[in-house]
Amino acid sequence: MSAETLKYTREQVETMEVAPGAEHEKLEGWVPELASEAALCDALEKAFDYRGDITITLKSGERFEAFVFNRHTGPSLADSWVQYFLPNVEGKQKLGYSQIARLEFTGKDRAAGKHWEDWVKAYNERKAAGEKNIGLHAEEID
Amino acid sequence: MAIPISQMWTVASYVVGKRLKGNKRYPLVLMLEPLFRCNLACAGCGKVQYPPHVLKRMLTPEECFAAVEEAGVPMVSIPGGEPLLHPRIVEIVEGLVARKKYIYLCTNALELKRRIHEFTPSKYLTFSVHLDGEREHHDYAVCREGGYDLAVEGIKEAVKRGFRVTPNSTFFDGTDPNSVRRHFDQMMAIGVEGMVLSPGYSYDKAPDQNRFMGRARVRKLFRAILSNRKKEWKFNMSPLFLEFLMGDRNYDCVPWGMPSYSIFGWQKPCYLLQDGYTETFKELMETTEWDKYGVPSGNPQCANCMVSCGYEAPAVMEGFGSWKGFVGMVKGTFNMYKDDHALKMLNEWKNEEEGPLVQITKPAAALEETKA
Repeated sequence: MSAETLKYTREQVETMEVAPGAEHEKLEGWVPELASEAALCDALEKAFDYRGDITITLKSGERFEAFVFNRHTGPSLADSWVQYFLPNVEGKQKLGYSQIARLEFTGKDRAAGKHWEDWVKAYNERKAAGEKNIGLHAEEID
Repeated sequence: MAIPISQMWTVASYVVGKRLKGNKRYPLVLMLEPLFRCNLACAGCGKVQYPPHVLKRMLTPEECFAAVEEAGVPMVSIPGGEPLLHPRIVEIVEGLVARKKYIYLCTNALELKRRIHEFTPSKYLTFSVHLDGEREHHDYAVCREGGYDLAVEGIKEAVKRGFRVTPNSTFFDGTDPNSVRRHFDQMMAIGVEGMVLSPGYSYDKAPDQNRFMGRARVRKLFRAILSNRKKEWKFNMSPLFLEFLMGDRNYDCVPWGMPSYSIFGWQKPCYLLQDGYTETFKELMETTEWDKYGVPSGNPQCANCMVSCGYEAPAVMEGFGSWKGFVGMVKGTFNMYKDDHALKMLNEWKNEEEGPLVQITKPAAALEETKA
Protein backbone atom coordinates (compact mmCIF):
# COMPACT_ATOMS: atom_id res chain seq x y z
CA MET A 1 0.00 0.00 0.00
CA SER A 2 1.41 3.40 -0.85
CA ALA A 3 1.05 6.49 1.27
CA GLU A 4 -1.23 8.20 -1.26
CA THR A 5 -4.50 7.82 0.68
CA LEU A 6 -4.90 10.49 3.34
CA LYS A 7 -7.46 9.35 5.80
CA TYR A 8 -7.15 10.48 9.40
CA THR A 9 -7.11 13.86 11.11
CA ARG A 10 -4.86 14.30 14.15
CA GLU A 11 -7.92 14.36 16.41
CA GLN A 12 -9.14 11.05 14.97
CA VAL A 13 -5.70 9.52 15.46
CA GLU A 14 -5.32 10.71 19.05
CA THR A 15 -8.73 9.40 20.12
CA MET A 16 -8.50 6.05 18.36
CA GLU A 17 -9.01 3.10 20.73
CA VAL A 18 -8.35 0.25 18.32
CA ALA A 19 -6.34 0.49 15.14
CA PRO A 20 -8.04 -1.21 12.21
CA GLY A 21 -6.06 -4.11 10.81
CA ALA A 22 -5.31 -4.55 7.14
CA GLU A 23 -7.58 -6.39 4.72
CA HIS A 24 -5.46 -8.83 2.75
CA GLU A 25 -6.17 -8.78 -0.95
CA LYS A 26 -6.09 -12.33 -2.31
CA LEU A 27 -3.57 -12.03 -5.09
CA GLU A 28 -2.13 -15.54 -5.25
CA GLY A 29 -2.82 -16.91 -8.74
CA TRP A 30 -3.81 -13.52 -10.11
CA VAL A 31 -2.84 -12.69 -13.69
CA PRO A 32 -3.53 -9.00 -14.25
CA GLU A 33 -4.70 -7.63 -17.57
CA LEU A 34 -1.95 -5.27 -18.66
CA ALA A 35 -4.05 -3.41 -21.18
CA SER A 36 -2.68 0.04 -20.38
CA GLU A 37 0.30 1.76 -18.80
CA ALA A 38 -1.84 2.56 -15.76
CA ALA A 39 -2.80 -1.12 -15.41
CA LEU A 40 0.86 -2.16 -15.60
CA CYS A 41 1.85 0.40 -12.94
CA ASP A 42 -1.00 -0.71 -10.70
CA ALA A 43 -0.07 -4.39 -11.09
CA LEU A 44 3.59 -3.67 -10.33
CA GLU A 45 2.58 -1.72 -7.22
CA LYS A 46 0.70 -4.83 -6.08
CA ALA A 47 3.68 -7.03 -7.04
CA PHE A 48 5.91 -4.82 -4.88
CA ASP A 49 3.59 -5.28 -1.90
CA TYR A 50 3.12 -9.02 -2.52
CA ARG A 51 5.04 -11.40 -0.22
CA GLY A 52 5.44 -14.16 -2.80
CA ASP A 53 7.21 -14.71 -6.09
CA ILE A 54 5.92 -13.27 -9.36
CA THR A 55 6.41 -14.85 -12.77
CA ILE A 56 7.51 -12.15 -15.19
CA THR A 57 7.36 -12.55 -18.96
CA LEU A 58 9.36 -10.02 -20.95
CA LYS A 59 8.45 -8.65 -24.34
CA SER A 60 11.53 -10.55 -25.58
CA GLY A 61 9.78 -13.78 -24.60
CA GLU A 62 12.05 -14.53 -21.63
CA ARG A 63 10.13 -15.80 -18.59
CA PHE A 64 11.32 -16.13 -14.99
CA GLU A 65 10.07 -16.22 -11.40
CA ALA A 66 11.31 -13.48 -9.07
CA PHE A 67 10.62 -11.73 -5.77
CA VAL A 68 9.89 -8.07 -6.51
CA PHE A 69 11.04 -5.94 -3.57
CA ASN A 70 11.26 -2.44 -4.98
CA ARG A 71 9.72 -0.25 -7.65
CA HIS A 72 10.07 3.26 -8.94
CA THR A 73 7.26 4.75 -10.98
CA GLY A 74 8.54 7.73 -12.94
CA PRO A 75 6.77 10.13 -15.32
CA SER A 76 6.85 7.52 -18.11
CA LEU A 77 7.45 3.79 -18.46
CA ALA A 78 10.95 4.56 -19.71
CA ASP A 79 11.73 6.17 -16.32
CA SER A 80 10.17 3.37 -14.28
CA TRP A 81 11.78 0.19 -12.97
CA VAL A 82 11.44 -2.71 -10.58
CA GLN A 83 14.11 -4.44 -8.51
CA TYR A 84 13.91 -8.12 -7.71
CA PHE A 85 15.75 -11.19 -6.47
CA LEU A 86 16.03 -14.34 -8.55
CA PRO A 87 16.16 -17.65 -6.66
CA ASN A 88 19.73 -19.00 -6.59
CA VAL A 89 21.19 -15.83 -8.10
CA GLU A 90 23.21 -13.46 -5.94
CA GLY A 91 22.62 -9.74 -6.08
CA LYS A 92 19.77 -7.43 -6.96
CA GLN A 93 18.31 -7.40 -10.47
CA LYS A 94 16.69 -4.40 -12.17
CA LEU A 95 14.20 -4.20 -15.00
CA GLY A 96 12.40 -1.38 -16.83
CA TYR A 97 8.59 -1.35 -16.77
CA SER A 98 8.63 -1.04 -20.56
CA GLN A 99 10.24 -4.49 -20.95
CA ILE A 100 7.42 -6.30 -19.15
CA ALA A 101 4.73 -8.14 -21.15
CA ARG A 102 2.99 -10.27 -18.52
CA LEU A 103 2.84 -10.75 -14.76
CA GLU A 104 1.56 -13.80 -12.88
CA PHE A 105 1.28 -13.96 -9.09
CA THR A 106 2.41 -17.59 -9.05
CA GLY A 107 4.31 -17.81 -5.76
CA LYS A 108 2.69 -18.61 -2.42
CA ASP A 109 1.64 -15.46 -0.58
CA ARG A 110 3.70 -15.78 2.60
CA ALA A 111 1.65 -13.11 4.40
CA ALA A 112 -1.68 -14.85 3.82
CA GLY A 113 -3.16 -18.09 4.97
CA LYS A 114 -1.70 -18.06 8.47
CA HIS A 115 -5.26 -18.38 9.78
CA TRP A 116 -4.43 -16.88 13.13
CA GLU A 117 -7.87 -17.33 14.62
CA ASP A 118 -7.87 -20.98 13.49
CA TRP A 119 -4.54 -21.48 15.20
CA VAL A 120 -5.80 -19.92 18.43
CA LYS A 121 -8.80 -22.26 18.37
CA ALA A 122 -6.56 -25.27 17.68
CA TYR A 123 -4.18 -24.15 20.43
CA ASN A 124 -6.96 -23.93 23.00
CA GLU A 125 -8.27 -27.36 22.01
CA ARG A 126 -4.81 -28.96 22.21
CA LYS A 127 -4.16 -27.23 25.52
CA ALA A 128 -7.48 -28.45 26.92
CA ALA A 129 -6.57 -31.96 25.80
CA GLY A 130 -3.43 -31.77 27.93
CA GLU A 131 -0.91 -31.45 25.11
CA LYS A 132 2.46 -29.90 25.97
CA ASN A 133 4.96 -27.81 24.01
CA ILE A 134 2.40 -26.51 21.55
CA GLY A 135 3.86 -24.09 19.05
CA LEU A 136 3.50 -22.37 15.73
CA HIS A 137 6.87 -22.93 14.14
CA ALA A 138 8.64 -21.02 11.42
CA GLU A 139 8.57 -22.80 8.07
CA GLU A 140 11.61 -24.87 7.15
CA ILE A 141 13.56 -23.15 4.39
CA ASP A 142 16.57 -25.43 3.88
CA MET B 1 17.38 5.42 33.49
CA ALA B 2 19.76 2.46 33.28
CA ILE B 3 21.93 3.60 30.40
CA PRO B 4 25.67 3.84 31.29
CA ILE B 5 27.17 7.32 31.47
CA SER B 6 29.69 6.59 28.69
CA GLN B 7 26.84 5.76 26.30
CA MET B 8 24.85 8.82 27.36
CA TRP B 9 27.93 10.99 26.87
CA THR B 10 28.53 9.56 23.38
CA VAL B 11 24.91 10.18 22.37
CA ALA B 12 24.79 13.63 23.99
CA SER B 13 28.00 14.70 22.19
CA TYR B 14 26.63 13.40 18.92
CA VAL B 15 23.30 15.25 19.29
CA VAL B 16 24.95 18.50 20.40
CA GLY B 17 27.46 18.24 17.53
CA LYS B 18 24.68 17.81 14.97
CA ARG B 19 22.78 20.70 16.50
CA LEU B 20 25.80 23.01 16.42
CA LYS B 21 26.33 22.13 12.75
CA GLY B 22 22.71 23.06 12.09
CA ASN B 23 21.70 19.56 10.93
CA LYS B 24 17.93 19.28 11.10
CA ARG B 25 17.62 15.68 9.94
CA TYR B 26 20.10 13.14 11.22
CA PRO B 27 19.98 9.51 12.34
CA LEU B 28 20.55 8.36 15.89
CA VAL B 29 20.29 4.57 15.69
CA LEU B 30 20.75 2.36 12.64
CA MET B 31 18.26 -0.50 12.49
CA LEU B 32 20.49 -3.07 10.84
CA GLU B 33 18.62 -6.15 9.65
CA PRO B 34 21.23 -8.67 8.51
CA LEU B 35 18.60 -11.30 7.64
CA PHE B 36 14.85 -11.89 7.81
CA ARG B 37 14.98 -15.57 8.70
CA CYS B 38 13.52 -16.33 12.12
CA ASN B 39 12.97 -19.37 14.33
CA LEU B 40 9.66 -18.05 15.64
CA ALA B 41 6.36 -17.28 13.91
CA CYS B 42 4.90 -14.55 16.13
CA ALA B 43 1.32 -13.40 15.69
CA GLY B 44 2.06 -9.69 15.74
CA CYS B 45 5.15 -9.69 13.53
CA GLY B 46 5.07 -8.67 9.89
CA LYS B 47 8.82 -8.81 9.30
CA VAL B 48 9.54 -12.36 8.22
CA GLN B 49 6.91 -13.35 5.65
CA TYR B 50 9.09 -13.93 2.59
CA PRO B 51 9.77 -16.81 0.17
CA PRO B 52 12.56 -19.19 1.28
CA HIS B 53 15.09 -17.90 -1.25
CA VAL B 54 14.71 -14.41 0.26
CA LEU B 55 14.92 -15.71 3.84
CA LYS B 56 18.20 -17.42 2.96
CA ARG B 57 19.80 -14.13 1.93
CA MET B 58 21.99 -12.28 4.42
CA LEU B 59 24.06 -9.16 4.65
CA THR B 60 27.79 -9.80 4.84
CA PRO B 61 29.76 -8.26 7.71
CA GLU B 62 31.35 -5.90 5.19
CA GLU B 63 27.91 -4.71 4.03
CA CYS B 64 26.91 -4.17 7.66
CA PHE B 65 30.03 -2.12 8.42
CA ALA B 66 29.60 -0.04 5.27
CA ALA B 67 25.99 0.78 6.20
CA VAL B 68 27.00 1.80 9.72
CA GLU B 69 29.82 4.02 8.43
CA GLU B 70 27.49 5.52 5.83
CA ALA B 71 24.87 6.50 8.40
CA GLY B 72 27.52 7.65 10.89
CA VAL B 73 25.37 6.74 13.90
CA PRO B 74 26.61 6.20 17.47
CA MET B 75 24.19 3.31 18.08
CA VAL B 76 23.18 0.23 16.09
CA SER B 77 20.19 -1.99 16.74
CA ILE B 78 20.39 -5.42 15.11
CA PRO B 79 16.90 -6.87 14.75
CA GLY B 80 15.70 -9.14 11.93
CA GLY B 81 14.72 -11.96 11.66
CA GLU B 82 16.70 -13.63 14.37
CA PRO B 83 20.28 -12.32 14.29
CA LEU B 84 21.66 -15.39 16.08
CA LEU B 85 20.73 -17.45 12.99
CA HIS B 86 23.26 -15.42 10.98
CA PRO B 87 26.39 -17.60 10.72
CA ARG B 88 28.66 -14.53 10.87
CA ILE B 89 26.85 -12.58 13.58
CA VAL B 90 29.84 -12.76 15.96
CA GLU B 91 32.04 -11.19 13.29
CA ILE B 92 29.45 -8.46 12.72
CA VAL B 93 29.22 -7.70 16.44
CA GLU B 94 33.00 -7.70 16.93
CA GLY B 95 33.45 -5.37 13.96
CA LEU B 96 30.92 -2.92 15.34
CA VAL B 97 32.40 -3.06 18.83
CA ALA B 98 35.82 -2.32 17.28
CA ARG B 99 34.20 0.75 15.70
CA LYS B 100 32.96 1.76 19.17
CA LYS B 101 29.30 1.58 18.23
CA TYR B 102 26.78 0.85 20.97
CA ILE B 103 24.98 -2.26 19.76
CA TYR B 104 21.60 -3.65 20.76
CA LEU B 105 21.49 -7.23 19.48
CA CYS B 106 17.76 -8.02 19.41
CA THR B 107 17.18 -11.72 19.91
CA ASN B 108 14.37 -14.04 20.93
CA ALA B 109 17.13 -15.82 22.89
CA LEU B 110 16.10 -19.32 21.84
CA GLU B 111 19.74 -19.79 20.81
CA LEU B 112 21.32 -17.40 23.30
CA LYS B 113 22.42 -19.84 26.00
CA ARG B 114 23.96 -22.14 23.39
CA ARG B 115 25.87 -19.36 21.62
CA ILE B 116 26.70 -16.92 24.41
CA HIS B 117 30.26 -18.27 24.79
CA GLU B 118 31.06 -16.98 21.28
CA PHE B 119 30.57 -13.35 22.40
CA THR B 120 32.76 -11.18 24.60
CA PRO B 121 31.21 -8.84 27.19
CA SER B 122 31.65 -5.19 26.34
CA LYS B 123 30.09 -1.89 27.34
CA TYR B 124 29.26 -1.55 23.63
CA LEU B 125 27.22 -4.77 23.43
CA THR B 126 23.73 -5.27 24.85
CA PHE B 127 21.54 -8.30 24.30
CA SER B 128 18.03 -6.95 23.83
CA VAL B 129 15.92 -10.02 24.51
CA HIS B 130 12.39 -10.26 23.13
CA LEU B 131 10.21 -11.06 26.13
CA ASP B 132 6.57 -10.00 25.92
CA GLY B 133 5.70 -10.36 29.59
CA GLU B 134 5.19 -13.23 31.98
CA ARG B 135 5.60 -16.86 30.88
CA GLU B 136 2.12 -17.58 29.53
CA HIS B 137 1.77 -14.16 27.95
CA HIS B 138 5.11 -14.36 26.22
CA ASP B 139 4.59 -17.92 24.99
CA TYR B 140 1.23 -16.98 23.58
CA ALA B 141 2.57 -13.84 21.89
CA VAL B 142 5.40 -15.77 20.24
CA CYS B 143 3.12 -18.76 19.60
CA ARG B 144 5.42 -21.26 21.26
CA GLU B 145 5.24 -22.90 24.64
CA GLY B 146 8.62 -23.02 26.31
CA GLY B 147 9.80 -19.85 24.56
CA TYR B 148 9.81 -17.89 27.81
CA ASP B 149 11.84 -20.47 29.71
CA LEU B 150 14.48 -20.61 26.97
CA ALA B 151 14.69 -16.83 26.80
CA VAL B 152 15.00 -16.46 30.57
CA GLU B 153 17.71 -19.14 30.68
CA GLY B 154 19.56 -17.15 28.03
CA ILE B 155 19.11 -13.90 29.97
CA LYS B 156 20.38 -15.45 33.20
CA GLU B 157 23.43 -16.91 31.47
CA ALA B 158 24.21 -13.60 29.77
CA VAL B 159 23.84 -11.67 33.04
CA LYS B 160 26.04 -14.23 34.81
CA ARG B 161 28.76 -13.76 32.19
CA GLY B 162 28.71 -9.98 32.61
CA PHE B 163 26.81 -8.94 29.50
CA ARG B 164 24.48 -6.00 29.36
CA VAL B 165 20.92 -7.37 28.97
CA THR B 166 17.66 -5.52 28.39
CA PRO B 167 14.39 -7.46 28.04
CA ASN B 168 12.41 -5.94 25.18
CA SER B 169 8.63 -6.18 25.42
CA THR B 170 5.96 -5.36 22.86
CA PHE B 171 2.39 -4.99 24.09
CA PHE B 172 -0.82 -5.51 22.14
CA ASP B 173 -4.49 -5.03 22.86
CA GLY B 174 -5.51 -7.21 25.78
CA THR B 175 -2.29 -6.72 27.75
CA ASP B 176 -2.83 -6.82 31.50
CA PRO B 177 -0.81 -3.98 33.10
CA ASN B 178 -0.68 -5.78 36.45
CA SER B 179 1.00 -8.72 34.78
CA VAL B 180 3.45 -6.38 33.03
CA ARG B 181 4.40 -4.84 36.38
CA ARG B 182 5.01 -8.32 37.81
CA HIS B 183 7.15 -9.00 34.75
CA PHE B 184 9.25 -5.91 35.58
CA ASP B 185 9.76 -7.23 39.13
CA GLN B 186 10.84 -10.62 37.83
CA MET B 187 13.27 -9.19 35.28
CA MET B 188 14.90 -6.72 37.68
CA ALA B 189 15.32 -9.56 40.20
CA ILE B 190 17.31 -11.49 37.58
CA GLY B 191 19.68 -8.54 37.31
CA VAL B 192 18.98 -7.09 33.88
CA GLU B 193 20.24 -3.59 33.16
CA GLY B 194 16.82 -2.14 32.36
CA MET B 195 13.56 -2.70 30.52
CA VAL B 196 12.68 -1.73 26.94
CA LEU B 197 8.98 -1.33 26.05
CA SER B 198 6.90 -0.69 22.99
CA PRO B 199 3.29 -0.79 21.87
CA GLY B 200 2.77 -3.13 18.92
CA TYR B 201 2.72 -1.65 15.44
CA SER B 202 -0.05 -2.65 13.02
CA TYR B 203 2.09 -4.46 10.45
CA ASP B 204 -0.21 -5.15 7.52
CA LYS B 205 1.60 -8.47 6.95
CA ALA B 206 1.18 -9.73 10.54
CA PRO B 207 -0.96 -12.88 10.98
CA ASP B 208 -3.20 -11.28 13.62
CA GLN B 209 -4.82 -8.05 12.42
CA ASN B 210 -7.26 -7.65 15.32
CA ARG B 211 -5.12 -6.70 18.30
CA PHE B 212 -3.49 -3.41 17.47
CA MET B 213 -4.17 -0.62 19.95
CA GLY B 214 -5.04 2.89 18.87
CA ARG B 215 -3.23 5.83 20.45
CA ALA B 216 -5.84 6.50 23.14
CA ARG B 217 -5.66 2.92 24.37
CA VAL B 218 -1.85 2.87 24.22
CA ARG B 219 -1.65 5.93 26.47
CA LYS B 220 -4.15 4.41 28.92
CA LEU B 221 -2.24 1.13 29.08
CA PHE B 222 1.17 2.75 29.53
CA ARG B 223 -0.18 5.19 32.12
CA ALA B 224 -1.39 2.20 34.11
CA ILE B 225 1.91 0.37 33.68
CA LEU B 226 4.37 3.21 34.20
CA SER B 227 2.72 5.35 36.89
CA ASN B 228 3.52 4.60 40.54
CA ARG B 229 6.81 2.96 39.61
CA LYS B 230 8.88 0.91 41.97
CA LYS B 231 12.34 2.25 42.72
CA GLU B 232 13.89 -1.06 41.62
CA TRP B 233 12.63 -0.63 38.07
CA LYS B 234 15.08 0.67 35.49
CA PHE B 235 14.35 1.48 31.87
CA ASN B 236 16.86 1.48 29.07
CA MET B 237 14.93 4.17 27.23
CA SER B 238 14.60 7.92 27.23
CA PRO B 239 12.38 9.04 30.17
CA LEU B 240 10.83 11.57 27.79
CA PHE B 241 9.80 8.79 25.42
CA LEU B 242 8.17 6.93 28.32
CA GLU B 243 6.28 10.14 29.16
CA PHE B 244 5.17 10.22 25.52
CA LEU B 245 3.78 6.69 25.86
CA MET B 246 1.96 7.75 29.05
CA GLY B 247 0.41 10.73 27.27
CA ASP B 248 2.38 13.41 29.15
CA ARG B 249 4.25 14.61 26.06
CA ASN B 250 3.60 14.80 22.38
CA TYR B 251 6.12 14.29 19.62
CA ASP B 252 5.84 14.06 15.88
CA CYS B 253 7.45 11.08 14.22
CA VAL B 254 11.11 11.42 13.22
CA PRO B 255 11.40 8.49 10.79
CA TRP B 256 14.97 9.36 9.78
CA GLY B 257 16.02 9.09 13.44
CA MET B 258 16.27 5.32 13.23
CA PRO B 259 16.73 4.38 9.57
CA SER B 260 16.65 0.77 8.48
CA TYR B 261 19.10 -1.14 6.26
CA SER B 262 18.61 -4.71 5.06
CA ILE B 263 19.23 -7.04 2.11
CA PHE B 264 16.83 -4.83 0.12
CA GLY B 265 18.75 -1.59 0.78
CA TRP B 266 17.82 1.55 2.77
CA GLN B 267 14.14 1.30 3.59
CA LYS B 268 11.75 4.19 2.87
CA PRO B 269 10.56 5.77 5.08
CA CYS B 270 11.26 3.84 8.30
CA TYR B 271 11.83 0.51 9.99
CA LEU B 272 8.11 -0.33 10.02
CA LEU B 273 6.78 0.87 6.68
CA GLN B 274 8.01 -0.43 3.32
CA ASP B 275 7.50 2.16 0.65
CA GLY B 276 10.60 1.34 -1.38
CA TYR B 277 14.37 1.19 -1.03
CA THR B 278 17.40 3.25 -1.97
CA GLU B 279 20.97 2.19 -2.65
CA THR B 280 22.56 4.82 -0.40
CA PHE B 281 21.76 6.52 2.88
CA LYS B 282 22.19 9.92 1.21
CA GLU B 283 19.60 8.97 -1.39
CA LEU B 284 17.24 7.84 1.38
CA MET B 285 17.55 11.19 3.15
CA GLU B 286 17.24 13.26 -0.03
CA THR B 287 14.56 11.41 -2.01
CA THR B 288 12.10 10.26 0.67
CA GLU B 289 8.99 12.43 0.73
CA TRP B 290 8.98 12.72 4.52
CA ASP B 291 5.82 14.82 4.68
CA LYS B 292 3.83 11.83 3.41
CA TYR B 293 4.35 10.10 6.77
CA GLY B 294 3.58 10.64 10.43
CA VAL B 295 0.40 11.80 12.14
CA PRO B 296 0.24 15.28 10.52
CA SER B 297 0.20 13.64 7.08
CA GLY B 298 -3.01 11.75 7.86
CA ASN B 299 -1.37 8.60 6.48
CA PRO B 300 -3.46 5.72 7.87
CA GLN B 301 -0.36 3.52 8.05
CA CYS B 302 1.05 5.92 10.65
CA ALA B 303 -2.19 6.29 12.60
CA ASN B 304 -1.56 3.91 15.50
CA CYS B 305 2.21 4.17 15.58
CA MET B 306 3.83 5.21 18.87
CA VAL B 307 6.85 2.98 18.37
CA SER B 308 10.35 3.93 19.47
CA CYS B 309 11.80 3.85 15.95
CA GLY B 310 9.75 6.97 15.17
CA TYR B 311 9.25 8.60 18.54
CA GLU B 312 12.25 7.87 20.76
CA ALA B 313 14.65 9.79 18.53
CA PRO B 314 12.80 13.12 19.02
CA ALA B 315 12.70 12.43 22.77
CA VAL B 316 16.46 11.83 22.87
CA MET B 317 17.10 14.84 20.62
CA GLU B 318 15.04 17.02 22.96
CA GLY B 319 16.71 15.55 26.04
CA PHE B 320 20.22 16.28 24.85
CA GLY B 321 19.41 19.20 22.58
CA SER B 322 17.91 21.73 25.02
CA TRP B 323 18.22 22.64 28.69
CA LYS B 324 14.48 22.25 29.13
CA GLY B 325 14.64 18.77 27.63
CA PHE B 326 17.68 17.88 29.71
CA VAL B 327 15.99 18.98 32.94
CA GLY B 328 12.90 16.98 31.95
CA MET B 329 15.07 13.94 31.32
CA VAL B 330 16.82 14.21 34.68
CA LYS B 331 13.51 14.70 36.51
CA GLY B 332 12.01 11.76 34.61
CA THR B 333 14.90 9.53 35.64
CA PHE B 334 14.12 9.92 39.33
CA ASN B 335 10.36 10.47 39.18
CA MET B 336 8.18 7.58 40.41
CA TYR B 337 5.16 9.19 38.66
CA LYS B 338 2.79 8.95 41.63
CA ASP B 339 -0.72 9.04 40.23
CA ASP B 340 -3.80 8.05 42.24
CA HIS B 341 -6.03 7.93 39.18
CA ALA B 342 -3.62 5.57 37.43
CA LEU B 343 -3.47 3.40 40.55
CA LYS B 344 -7.25 3.18 40.62
CA MET B 345 -7.26 2.33 36.93
CA LEU B 346 -4.66 -0.37 37.56
CA ASN B 347 -6.61 -1.89 40.44
CA GLU B 348 -9.84 -1.89 38.47
CA TRP B 349 -8.33 -3.04 35.19
CA LYS B 350 -10.60 -5.48 33.40
CA ASN B 351 -9.30 -7.81 30.76
CA GLU B 352 -11.32 -8.40 27.64
CA GLU B 353 -13.81 -11.24 27.57
CA GLU B 354 -12.61 -12.83 24.35
CA GLY B 355 -9.14 -14.33 24.46
CA PRO B 356 -6.74 -11.49 23.80
CA LEU B 357 -3.40 -12.00 22.09
CA VAL B 358 -1.24 -12.11 25.17
CA GLN B 359 -3.56 -13.97 27.48
CA ILE B 360 -3.68 -17.72 27.64
CA THR B 361 -5.52 -18.14 30.89
CA LYS B 362 -9.23 -17.43 31.03
CA PRO B 363 -9.75 -13.71 31.69
CA ALA B 364 -11.76 -14.45 34.84
CA ALA B 365 -8.69 -15.87 36.58
CA ALA B 366 -6.61 -12.81 35.85
CA LEU B 367 -9.44 -10.56 36.97
CA GLU B 368 -9.49 -12.17 40.38
CA GLU B 369 -5.79 -11.40 40.76
CA THR B 370 -6.42 -7.78 39.79
CA LYS B 371 -9.17 -7.39 42.37
CA ALA B 372 -7.01 -8.77 45.14
